[in-house]
Amino acid sequence: MLRRGLSALCGLLAGTALFAIMVLTLLDVSGRKFLSASIPGSLELTELLMVVVIFAGLPLVSLQREHVVFDSLDRRLSAALRRVQHVVVELLCAAALAGLAWLMWAKAGQMASYGDITAQLKLSVAPFVYAMSVLCAVTAAVHAALSLRSPDELGPAAEVTGGG
Amino acid sequence: MTAALIGFAAVFVLALLRVPLAFAMGAVGYVGLGLLRGWAPTAASAAQVVYDTGFAYTLSVVPLFILMGNLVARAGLAQELFHAAYVFVGHKRGGLAHAAVMACAGFGAICGSSIATAATMAKVAYPPMKKLGYADYLSTGVIAAGGTLGIMIPPSTIMVIYGIVTETHIGKLFAAGVVPGLLCALLLMLTVLWIIRRDPQAGPAGERTPWPQRWRALREIWGVLLLVAVVLGGIYGGVFTATEGAGIGASGAFAFALMRRVLTLRVLSEVLVESARTTAMLFTILIAATMFSNFVNFTSMPGDLKDGITQLGLPPLALIGAMMVVYVLLGTIMEELTMVLLTLPVFFPVVTSLGYDPVWFGVLIVLVVQVGLISPPVGMNMFVLNALLKDVGMPAIFRGSAIFCVPLVIGLLLVMLVPQLALWLPGLMK
Repeated sequence: MLRRGLSALCGLLAGTALFAIMVLTLLDVSGRKFLSASIPGSLELTELLMVVVIFAGLPLVSLQREHVVFDSLDRRLSAALRRVQHVVVELLCAAALAGLAWLMWAKAGQMASYGDITAQLKLSVAPFVYAMSVLCAVTAAVHAALSLRSPDELGPAAEVTGGG
Repeated sequence: MTAALIGFAAVFVLALLRVPLAFAMGAVGYVGLGLLRGWAPTAASAAQVVYDTGFAYTLSVVPLFILMGNLVARAGLAQELFHAAYVFVGHKRGGLAHAAVMACAGFGAICGSSIATAATMAKVAYPPMKKLGYADYLSTGVIAAGGTLGIMIPPSTIMVIYGIVTETHIGKLFAAGVVPGLLCALLLMLTVLWIIRRDPQAGPAGERTPWPQRWRALREIWGVLLLVAVVLGGIYGGVFTATEGAGIGASGAFAFALMRRVLTLRVLSEVLVESARTTAMLFTILIAATMFSNFVNFTSMPGDLKDGITQLGLPPLALIGAMMVVYVLLGTIMEELTMVLLTLPVFFPVVTSLGYDPVWFGVLIVLVVQVGLISPPVGMNMFVLNALLKDVGMPAIFRGSAIFCVPLVIGLLLVMLVPQLALWLPGLMK
């Protein structure tokens, strides 16, 4: 239930932001080429939207277990050992993301106190950095929750990478 | 030097323990830099890396090209590409395999991912080959290898990431991939010919298609051709940047999918979310690799290596060759993008100090990744086919992929020895 809700919310955020980047780029370029009028601040908007795409996408990657792992040794480990490994690795990931969330929260606070704004549209940047932090924390929670499930119940990790 | 070596070893050990590679690189980079430089500056620099990677206009090229490829795959353009190639060569022995290579090359011109190309072509090209009685090793080998054309023929996700990390011009990298990509396609088709000569039963001939139907099939791929011409032509011609081209390409693919009436709200949201997930996954690796390379660059390793190599006085090309051997070996066991990002902070300064063109080195890296993607035992394209084609066993896929590694290695050697193959086209750019 929680999982479905989280997927839907993050999917909506990330998907809408990506679609918006596409439309924004199209309008900006065609405006510049054909009407010699670009959209003011389109560059900044794209940057802010990119933050949403990446960081709202992050909990989804973890939920679907799409992070690239080296799993060739899996078959050689006993079931008990794999369970221990699963718990340790998920907790490690959760800790790393929680640490990152904390760092970004501090950075956001700093930026809020300096009153950092974007150059053209004068939008405040800090809320987006707070969002980065919150979404990292959410992803940390996802990993912590995954550590409670058994690896067999979760099935094999998705065989998807984007690099190649 | 020692610190960096310990760092590399730590990443490998963590990876073997099944820690996701991004987390392994990020954690080792963070701890390593923290020990060398102190924790406060390390914390600040890590936050800055995350912030800079998140708020980066030029990086929006990555999700936009991914989105374009995914939209095009859903729009069914791959099917038409394959059909158009099939009507011309299908009546020859091994004709379907040739058609698969051609369709992969065409699809590679709109899709920047090898895995997506292989997965799409597996659905389109494998069933007709199976029906005609093709040997599984030929059909899966040619699709796995043809899929790798997705990253050589522009656009290419891995070229974009190489360009961002090394600050190399992405448009030039794209231009540099065209000739080697076509060369690879040609070498793959020669391999098909060679297989058919040795094993004529492996690829029976299909029916001949009359000419009027051939022209009709060719007319149906105008959409793909238009999209490729506008996006790549626009980037080469300097009409717009790679980022802008990606946005236009994604919009064009969206328009096609709309026209084909395949785009319900549900399908659209699936494609968008899938693209966003791939993006988030890539950026996790990118952020972690930047943290790791900040650590490596703080150690004496890049400098030591550069000095050591200069003192050795080896012929420069032998060094490049040695790097490629390292990549091919690493590529058999490691995920390819991570391998490249992990090694670039060490290799890239050496390459530039030898006076080599970063664009050429980028093409070599893509070639070596192509080989890695289909070299047993750990090659992502083979796993994709294994997951998609339930009735084909892994041994057949391994055998086919191993055979088709050879033409790609030949392609790598050719581009290494004749850099003009890669550098001629970008040289013509303004």
